[in-house]
Amino acid sequence: MRIHSALLPVLCTLALLAGCAQPPTDQINAAEQAVKEAQQSGAATYVANDYAKIEGLLGALKKEVADQDAKFALLRDYGKAEQLAASAKAEAERVKTEAVKKMEEAKDGALQAHRVAQEAVKSTLELVAKAPTGKDRAALESIKTDAEALKASLNDVQMMIDKADYLAAQTKAKAIHEKSQAVSHEIEAALAKIGKGKPAAAKRK
Amino acid sequence: MLPIHRQRPISGLTFWAGALALAGTLTGCAEAVPQDVIEAVESIDRDLMQLRAAEIAPNDYSSFAHQWVTLRTRVEAEADLIRWPWEPNDLELALRHLRDEGSRTVAKLAEQQATLRRAAEHRLAHVEERAKLITAHVSAIDSRLVLGAKPVETDLLMKQARAFYGQGRYEQSLEASDRAARNLAVQATLLNRELGRYASRDRIIQWQQMAQDTVEWSRTHHAPAIVVSKADRTLTLYKNGRQVLSYPVRLGFNGIREKRYQGDGATPEGRYRITGKRGQGQTQYYRALVLDYPNQEDRRRFVHERKTGHIPALRGIGGQIEIHGVENELMAQTLGCVMLDNPHMAHLFERVDKGTPVTIVGALHEQNSVALALAHLAVRGDET
Repeated sequence: MRIHSALLPVLCTLALLAGCAQPPTDQINAAEQAVKEAQQSGAATYVANDYAKIEGLLGALKKEVADQDAKFALLRDYGKAEQLAASAKAEAERVKTEAVKKMEEAKDGALQAHRVAQEAVKSTLELVAKAPTGKDRAALESIKTDAEALKASLNDVQMMIDKADYLAAQTKAKAIHEKSQAVSHEIEAALAKIGKGKPAAAKRK
Repeated sequence: MLPIHRQRPISGLTFWAGALALAGTLTGCAEAVPQDVIEAVESIDRDLMQLRAAEIAPNDYSSFAHQWVTLRTRVEAEADLIRWPWEPNDLELALRHLRDEGSRTVAKLAEQQATLRRAAEHRLAHVEERAKLITAHVSAIDSRLVLGAKPVETDLLMKQARAFYGQGRYEQSLEASDRAARNLAVQATLLNRELGRYASRDRIIQWQQMAQDTVEWSRTHHAPAIVVSKADRTLTLYKNGRQVLSYPVRLGFNGIREKRYQGDGATPEGRYRITGKRGQGQTQYYRALVLDYPNQEDRRRFVHERKTGHIPALRGIGGQIEIHGVENELMAQTLGCVMLDNPHMAHLFERVDKGTPVTIVGALHEQNSVALALAHLAVRGDET
């Protein structure tokens, strides 16, 4: 009986210590923060599949914590939750890095396409400026209108870039480039035709 | 020895222990989850990624991904466990369920994608066809400038739609095609707004009356008179009220429109007279008949439109509208005048005098080229 009495406080302390197992709140918060940062870095757009999976991992973590919380206090074990939190955090950080890389690539692609389109439109406008102000105006006026419209469209691309809508910006910039080249060919043909004649003096009409 | 999934109470009798061991050996112990089921789910995940499920069906993919991640965690945790063959295996059941559910999602998304692809293809082809039709009509009635930047905007949208289609982004392709279609509808509206008078019965009656008055003047004064129809691109000379000749003409670069101010490239409509004849050496355009544009009616309209803000403040009314020949066939276009081929101009020049009336009208009959083009575009527009 004396032994039992001596052991009782020790056993009670051990039982209390075991019963005080707490969920790994800090690790869970860190994992949630990492997933949030991945989302803010554009993961849902640029690495959508991976992002869905880290959300899934976060879901599994929460479920595991809820399962343990539902158990009798002395039987709770948050070891698996800790592992899941660590995996979710590490995976979220990897996904964030990947998303940032993909977004940078898309941004670079959009900026490059924008520059190419700007150059093409500039060349077209220079060709328009070379056109004589004399007669064959129907074609040249139409081409001038088209070139001005292309110039205005470049602003749309810039706005898309400003809004970080890089994929749409790149597609539009490529369309402008393609159209600009077509207009340039048209004006070169018109200039070649007009070049054979003398530009007429401007008239009041 | 591998750990077993669950400890089962067994009797202490050696016989039963031996029997159980023998049964285990004979039947073989089961893995926690068969590898083929895991590979099947992994394959479905790859299919879903290829279908861009996370983008086009985020809820479906999210549901799959959540379950897959949870089950994979369990698979990893229980990788070293073995079960008795007769034990229920809820993990395997859950994975098989996910595999079946995932397969259905793949089939559903593949069908959705195929439907979207067909819709995007059809929509784009339809828009491109409509754009071609409008371009052809606009070109036929020389009204490209009426549309301003719209044709280029439409063209860019169609190119974007084509690019998105090529990338398998069918929703974006459809959206771009829809915007192009709306842009084409705006073009049709613009054409109707700017050129609708060519389809206006009242306006045509008015123009017919102006032409009849001119012919009547020619008859009563036993003198020449000219009627120009912009829609028909014809110049007709009358003498003593009878048609003497009719020649094709070219108009200003924006000639189909009604002239409003200097430099708009439009050819004026109204009753004018020849105020001067310029022979060779007096004009750069072979021969020219100078008209009295702007007349009183033109000035009145110009002042009214400028007051109401329809004409920019710095714009003048313009002038020097002529009927002239061609300076250079390679540059055969005029800024707002009426231009004839030189042999025709020579004939006309000899048959008219200063003071000869020149009436320029939009159209002389209801079935004119502009009205027909507008009607055709309206009908085809209704079909969309």
